[in-house]
Amino acid sequence: MKYRKELFKTKDPFDTKYSNMRFFRAAKENFAFQYKNCAEYRKIADSFVSPDDIKSYEDIDKIPCLPTLVFKNHKLFSTKKYKMPITATSSGTKGKYSEVGFDTGGLWCGLKMVLKISKLRQLFSLRPCRYIIFGYKPHKGNRTAVTKTAFGATFFAPAISRTYALKFSDGKYTADLEGIINAVVKYGKSKIPLRFMGFPSYTYFFLKTMDERGIYLKLNKHSKIMLGGGWKQFYTEQVDKSTLYALAKKVLGISDENIVEFFGAVEHPILYCDCKNHHFHVPAYSRVIIRDVDTLEPLGYGKTGLVNLITPMIKATPILSVMTDDLGVLHDGKECGCGLSSPYLEIIGRVGLSDIKTCAAGAADILSEVKL
Amino acid sequence: MILAKGKLYNSNEQDKILDTLEDEINDTLENKTLLIETVIGAIDRLGRRLEAGEFDSLLSEFGISGFERYKDMAAVMLSRENIEHKIKTELGEYFYLPRLTSPPRGQKRIKIKPMPLGTILHIAAGNVDGLPAYSVAEGLLTGNVNILKLPAADNGLSIEIIRQLTQIEPALADYIYVFDTPSSDIHAMKRMADMSDAISVWGGDEAVAAVRRLAPTSAKIIEWGHKLGFAYISGYSDREKELSALAEHIAATRQLLCSSCQTIYIDTESMADIHAFCTEFLPYLQRAVNKYPPMSIGEKAEITLLRYNEIIEKAISGSIDSAQLYRGENCALIPCTDSELELSPMFCNCNVKRLPQKDILKVLRRKKGYLQTVGLICREEKRDSLTDALAKCGVVRITRSGDMSETFSGEAHDGEYPLRRYTRIVNIESI
Repeated sequence: MKYRKELFKTKDPFDTKYSNMRFFRAAKENFAFQYKNCAEYRKIADSFVSPDDIKSYEDIDKIPCLPTLVFKNHKLFSTKKYKMPITATSSGTKGKYSEVGFDTGGLWCGLKMVLKISKLRQLFSLRPCRYIIFGYKPHKGNRTAVTKTAFGATFFAPAISRTYALKFSDGKYTADLEGIINAVVKYGKSKIPLRFMGFPSYTYFFLKTMDERGIYLKLNKHSKIMLGGGWKQFYTEQVDKSTLYALAKKVLGISDENIVEFFGAVEHPILYCDCKNHHFHVPAYSRVIIRDVDTLEPLGYGKTGLVNLITPMIKATPILSVMTDDLGVLHDGKECGCGLSSPYLEIIGRVGLSDIKTCAAGAADILSEVKL
Repeated sequence: MILAKGKLYNSNEQDKILDTLEDEINDTLENKTLLIETVIGAIDRLGRRLEAGEFDSLLSEFGISGFERYKDMAAVMLSRENIEHKIKTELGEYFYLPRLTSPPRGQKRIKIKPMPLGTILHIAAGNVDGLPAYSVAEGLLTGNVNILKLPAADNGLSIEIIRQLTQIEPALADYIYVFDTPSSDIHAMKRMADMSDAISVWGGDEAVAAVRRLAPTSAKIIEWGHKLGFAYISGYSDREKELSALAEHIAATRQLLCSSCQTIYIDTESMADIHAFCTEFLPYLQRAVNKYPPMSIGEKAEITLLRYNEIIEKAISGSIDSAQLYRGENCALIPCTDSELELSPMFCNCNVKRLPQKDILKVLRRKKGYLQTVGLICREEKRDSLTDALAKCGVVRITRSGDMSETFSGEAHDGEYPLRRYTRIVNIESI
């Protein structure tokens, strides 16, 4: 995996222009590895293309792209289990979830990536803080990537304490909103900064509840809100980002330059961190292809389609190229104005059929699965 | 909302109503008899009012899309003539007339007295508008007391139809109880099941399995499960007409019905024939699909994702002949190397498979219990023998290719007459 190493050495983490050749070599190397070591992947590839057909950077859209649903129906691995120090799962319902193995080399690349990308929003700090996590408290039975990411995010600055909104007791997670409000009110009086981390929907719900109760605080100016995990469960409640930012300012005194949003998926463990204009620029270690919703052909900037994410970061599971169930648009980086030139991804929704009525055997299961 | 004895109650009164329900039902069973004529008269009047447009504003309020189209059909279905025809077909002309058997060799004669089962719990599915009300109507026509558990997706239409029916004919009120209990309220559902002689359950495998788990062993379970339809092609009588009709059927039903075509079988052993068929049929499918309005981008994306996922799954299982797909706009044909009957990715994405006539029984028997409709396309002289061969496998409807999802008056439902299943025979030894 020497080309992978080379790619993750890229100095500018948002250089998607001059890193194309390195990206191509690493992707081809990963493709050949998965093709050789994962029988299911080989069968899929054989129906489309072989590693030898990937001849230049322009060919990366031809690499077999696996829908995330495939990882829910099959456990796909390309290395021995003992070579994966970590496996993470998606937070799937109904007992179906993706499982992705991380090899040691991939984890090192990940660490390098996090160190470089987090500089964009000055996430690292030596100033100790208290963490409020709108997510799951880690538990040995919980291997979800969301939990691991939220926990990982509490190491950007030394933690004095960690308070979780979702606590594990009696075999299940329960939400403790009152506990969180009490903790924030108590800690908010001290001079130690607070850092919030978690699902945007929970964060919004918390801020709204504080606002309704008329509880307003002025937190230390080094306090931050980090949002991650997407809006998936609460799509209908999705609020405009600016509403959330205004509420954070009103309730906690945190202004929008201290609100950072992450985007990622267990099947594409690249850290997407928003820029100061709150856009997700594509890092050097990842490529995004927006595909036509009918033909799956790649589309250019400004057009809505299915989001195909590519990264050669992981060896242990064939997640080189995956198709999410998100609908998105890729914009020319120059339109953002933050100074980064790499294109940025805007997620505008999820695939969805409304109100489908069916009595064909098995159809209802399939229709609900695709939206897990 | 709950409907009991013709009155509406708030959902939170469920337990109170259930506490006295058994006594009320017993009182009805003991002291009252529901005459079939009363039920037919009420349904017929409901149909006439529907036809006269009295419910137009109600239906549009419930957002029933294209209800004008269904109105004429519903008016015919609810008409006295149609219901009488249904009863005659399902139960025979003199079913309710008590009569004596005439056994051979001087054996004792015995009286036959058909009766309702007693109480039927209907666990309805939300996949067809008004289906829960239809299930209750069948229970009423056979004189039963009906407890209806509404599907979670019910929009309030069913309870309104039933309420209208009890207003037209107050005598029906004692025979209908409608609850909007969620399926997660196992305790309440068990109480309803314990009061019932039979449970009529509509829905997929999961719903049926759940009911089997909660039903008392003594209850009769009447299952209306989800099924699969397919087309079988062995030559043509009128190639263009038959292929157009099949394409129209696929596009019109979006392959979402039990009777929809999921797989097109060709009577051949050669994959070359499968590819040739796909090439020929795709333009037909495209023409039919073009007649239906375009979908939203989210819908298109989900359908494409379903189809793409199916291709990947088939690539893993090795049942696809390369990832070659005959793709049109908003439709596709998927040539497969296996012969299993299976659900397609739906929404005008159809599997095409080989099934030589000699293998029909062997292959289709593997899906027994799921087989419903086959749209048969063949040369006329082969129709009888192929019909026989398909009937032997377990399919229950054999139609022309374009009529797979047509409703035929007097037809059985999934191979059975519901009214038969909702009645029992009492034998009485005469003196």
